Amino acid sequence: MLFRVDPASAVPLGDQIAACVRGALADGSAAPGERLPAARELADSLGVNVHTVLRGYQRLREEGLIELRRGRGALIVPGATAPDRARLVSRLREAAAEARELGLTEEEFVDLARASLG
Amino acid sequence: MNRAAPRLRALAALPFALALTVHLVLLALRYDRLPDTFATHFGPDGGHADGFTGRTAFTAVSAGLLLTLGAGWTLLVRRGPLWGAWATAGFTGTLLVLLVRDNLDATDPERVGFPLANLLFAGAVAALLALAGRGLTRLVPRDEPAAEPGTPDAPRLPLGAGEVAGWTRATASRPLTVLAVLALAATPAVLLLAPWPAALLGLLGLVVGLPGLALARIRVTVDRRGVTVRSALASRPRVRISLDEVAGASARDLDTAAVLAEFGGWGYRVRAHRTGVIVRSGEVLVVRRSGGREFAVTVPDARTAAALLNTLAERHGKV
Repeated sequence: MLFRVDPASAVPLGDQIAACVRGALADGSAAPGERLPAARELADSLGVNVHTVLRGYQRLREEGLIELRRGRGALIVPGATAPDRARLVSRLREAAAEARELGLTEEEFVDLARASLG
Repeated sequence: MNRAAPRLRALAALPFALALTVHLVLLALRYDRLPDTFATHFGPDGGHADGFTGRTAFTAVSAGLLLTLGAGWTLLVRRGPLWGAWATAGFTGTLLVLLVRDNLDATDPERVGFPLANLLFAGAVAALLALAGRGLTRLVPRDEPAAEPGTPDAPRLPLGAGEVAGWTRATASRPLTVLAVLALAATPAVLLLAPWPAALLGLLGLVVGLPGLALARIRVTVDRRGVTVRSALASRPRVRISLDEVAGASARDLDTAAVLAEFGGWGYRVRAHRTGVIVRSGEVLVVRRSGGREFAVTVPDARTAAALLNTLAERHGKV
């Protein structure tokens, strides 16, 4: 799995790390059930703080893409739908960024999302 | 096959040729003063002679010693340790010359001594010649500059100027896991059930099982520090090739026949010109080291790893 982060970017490093995992899952270079590198290890590898990596992993857990287990590290959720889910989350985040650029408030965006559900 | 340049071989042979010439010329010039029997071995207590050799045999053995050492260095020499050839020739040649000097005019070989100072002197000559040999290394071009990461067909992974990238992947061999677990499981069974002391052979299960299990699951990482291969179960032992040492990387596919032909089997393999952590067939990341050796590790998605490694090595070289 390829991780690439740009400390000069406006996007927080943790989010960049999460995006790498989502991208890898979406394009098949990471498989459902695969173990992510330990946070400390990945932090050493990229030269970032371990809490930054953990923030990224936490975000992925909130998105339902990985499971975090004490002592067992981070696992991509097993199941064939994980890549599709990763793609969906990526598109949602893109949409959210677009909404922010348009000047929509958080509430307006959520209302839009709810409206598009039905 | 050793691909040392002819010039490197010549520079390795030269000090031995010089030592042999000096030695033989000395023997010829002082022929009338040579004793029939040489004292050739000395005890530890003050260097008193306790071993003797006839004149003809001494000449043959001493010349043969220099020739053998010289031939060995000439055949196996590398650019880096060239100075070792000069040190070896200097040390051996000086000892032989001093030995001849101390034996000159000896009527009773039993009374010939070989003081410790001789050894120190030979050591000093060896050190001087080692420095000379080191200086001569400059006359030998570095190995294969073609193995630079600048080769145009090598895969690349474009990175932004400030971008930091790392690639990591775990890979496992199920047969190796099964074998290792079986070996480990057999250990207590044999220890308990087999008759003593033959049961101690059961400990072999640990010897086979532990390294087997360590190799059955490995993690390969390519990042700003280079390539790291370690067991997925523990962070040590590990193999690391730093970016300084990386001359280039590529990805290949090895089928079972190719694994057997190039590495002779699975596991941690050390061959004449390559080292490999080979846990399965399939995609292999091949790293050319600056010394000319290859390091290979079987890992899926090796192409991305090779591309990133080439990019990182190139960037590292620029800084």
